[in-house]
Amino acid sequence: MLEFTCLIPLFTGIIAMFLPVKFGRGILVVTALLHLQITIMAWLGKITPGLPQYFSASPEGLLVLLVASFIFLFISIYAVSYMSVTEITSEPIYIGCTLFFLSSMSMVALADHLIVLWIAIEATTLMSAPLIFLHRSKSALEATWKYVMICSVGIALALLGCFFIVLSMDIGNVQVALTFSSLGAVATQLDPMWLKAGFIFLVIGYGTKMGLAPMHTWLPDAHSEAPSPASALLSGALLNCAFLGVYRSHRLLYQAGLGDFSSNILIGLGLLSMLIAAIFIFNQTGYKRMLAYSSIENMGIIAFGVGIGGLATYGAMLHLIHHSLIKSSLFLSAGNILLGYGSKLISKTGNMAKVFPKTFTAFFAGFAGISGFPPFGIFVSELLIIIGAFQKGRTISVSIFILALILIFAGASRLVMKMSFGKWDEEILVDENWARVLPSYALLLTSVILCVWLPDSLYQTILSAIATIGGSVNG
Amino acid sequence: MSAFSDALLAFTLLSVLMSLAAHRLVALVKIMAFQGIVVSLIPLFLEHSHTLTMGSILMLQVMILIKGFFIPGFIYVAVRKIKIRREIEPIVGYHASLFAGLLFILISAFIADRIYASQSLPGEYVLLMITAITTLASGLFLLMSRHKAITQVIGYLMMENGIYLFGTALAKQTHTQYLVEFGVLLDLLVGIMIMGIVLNNINSSFDDVDTALLGQLKD
Repeated sequence: MLEFTCLIPLFTGIIAMFLPVKFGRGILVVTALLHLQITIMAWLGKITPGLPQYFSASPEGLLVLLVASFIFLFISIYAVSYMSVTEITSEPIYIGCTLFFLSSMSMVALADHLIVLWIAIEATTLMSAPLIFLHRSKSALEATWKYVMICSVGIALALLGCFFIVLSMDIGNVQVALTFSSLGAVATQLDPMWLKAGFIFLVIGYGTKMGLAPMHTWLPDAHSEAPSPASALLSGALLNCAFLGVYRSHRLLYQAGLGDFSSNILIGLGLLSMLIAAIFIFNQTGYKRMLAYSSIENMGIIAFGVGIGGLATYGAMLHLIHHSLIKSSLFLSAGNILLGYGSKLISKTGNMAKVFPKTFTAFFAGFAGISGFPPFGIFVSELLIIIGAFQKGRTISVSIFILALILIFAGASRLVMKMSFGKWDEEILVDENWARVLPSYALLLTSVILCVWLPDSLYQTILSAIATIGGSVNG
Repeated sequence: MSAFSDALLAFTLLSVLMSLAAHRLVALVKIMAFQGIVVSLIPLFLEHSHTLTMGSILMLQVMILIKGFFIPGFIYVAVRKIKIRREIEPIVGYHASLFAGLLFILISAFIADRIYASQSLPGEYVLLMITAITTLASGLFLLMSRHKAITQVIGYLMMENGIYLFGTALAKQTHTQYLVEFGVLLDLLVGIMIMGIVLNNINSSFDDVDTALLGQLKD
């Protein structure tokens, strides 16, 4: 029963809502461990889906599930320490919703049925909304309202896209189950016009959730107003889940022989996201907003890589893994910075290298990693995407890609330098401690390890995930 | 396509136009309850209704219960709590909104006609398609042209009704799986509840539910 990855967090979440806070924190970590264990068993092929008409263990789904489960474990360890030093009015709700959130993300990763995938992605929006407005400040309310409205409307359009795909089945007289795997086998018989229309709506819907420009407007607000462990989850796990929706739709079009159409849309949206991020990151005043724009950039990179195809798709999948690891680590460090300085503004921070040596190490290393410096994995993935794009002869788009990367590095490094070495001579509110820096270190270390040594099962899974859209390591 | 389902479609269009011109929030909620019930009833009177099964009847009842009673009831409670009765100064005026609604009907008639002509679909659902596109477009319009958060929720609901009608117009019943349909409905219900909770919090922090007040976060 692979569905246990959804059911266990669901049940423990309900239990945590009614138990005292002390137990709730324990339940959070224990559930994270259990979830990781089931995920690893699924990777070893020990468990299979119990409802094959709705769920399947697809390679790309397993990849996203493993990433989500892995970072959830470290985030929950961090969250326990974070919650003990911050005042949260309704902590049981926070713990419960975090677990429901994990449950709905697992459902996204496993869903095979078109509408079940839609239900699961909408559920992730609903379950993560309470996490964002936890502090109930005016700005948090605004962020939650934007998040719920923009994402719900966007995802409603994705439902329309699903109906268009159903229509393309009816016109082509195809009688199969409405799942991605069975549709893929008969994709060429589907009506191409409605398939394209369906893809556009699916990309608008799931792209909203993934943070692709121009539908990204909720993302910086939600990521900056949520408590840091929740921001780390949103950025590291949720965006990947939404990407899965886009990826599966793209694969359906590729199988139907319309790969060029969907590739060009993905490349266009990807480059636009990167450019928008580059513009807005430049004069950013808040460090969590800066990280949020960096997430938009990285989602753009992944969409670009998948759109290019070939070697770049392999790079995009690697990028997905490393972005999740590094960005969630950065958001956890940002949580420490927020606790210490008591402000989200860059101008209210400074001299981190002296005041917060441990957090500084994690934050600065994470920044180097996200900017694409070795030994972190993003160096490899971005390099592969660039090489892949040159192999495909996409010279103009790859030049825009490189330009956007340079602009973002220039804009962000100015801010990070200010935070790390700028002037600061006031009181620190909450000192750093090991429980809140070790998770960040562990996530960064994983990225370094995966950069030099990729386990064979991971490598094979990525290959089989990208093989269906014409991706391979041989270009 | 029976005369009865045509009448239901006409009622749906009427409710769409009324909601575009409604000043009072309570009236708007009542219109939405009516629309929810009518929209859930439509599949019952379509051509394939003679294949009614136990499952589909049960689903119909659940849908009427949720769309006609639970969701409007929930919004009604929210309206009562926030003590705001009217949408004052909408972004687009009521007469202009009504006119826009009529335009949507025209445009959707054009689109539906084109779709059916080019795709050689059975022509019996053209009216259904027109209603679906109009409802969808008017929902989006309501969402964008009003300041109050409650009206935006109602706009979202109307849009969802339109999409549901689209689904019934396009999909053959063979694809319908009740478990899946129930999941969609549950998402909608929980979504509206969460929006309602956020709305109440907005009201208590800002003393209003005007989304124009939500403008602190920007770049």
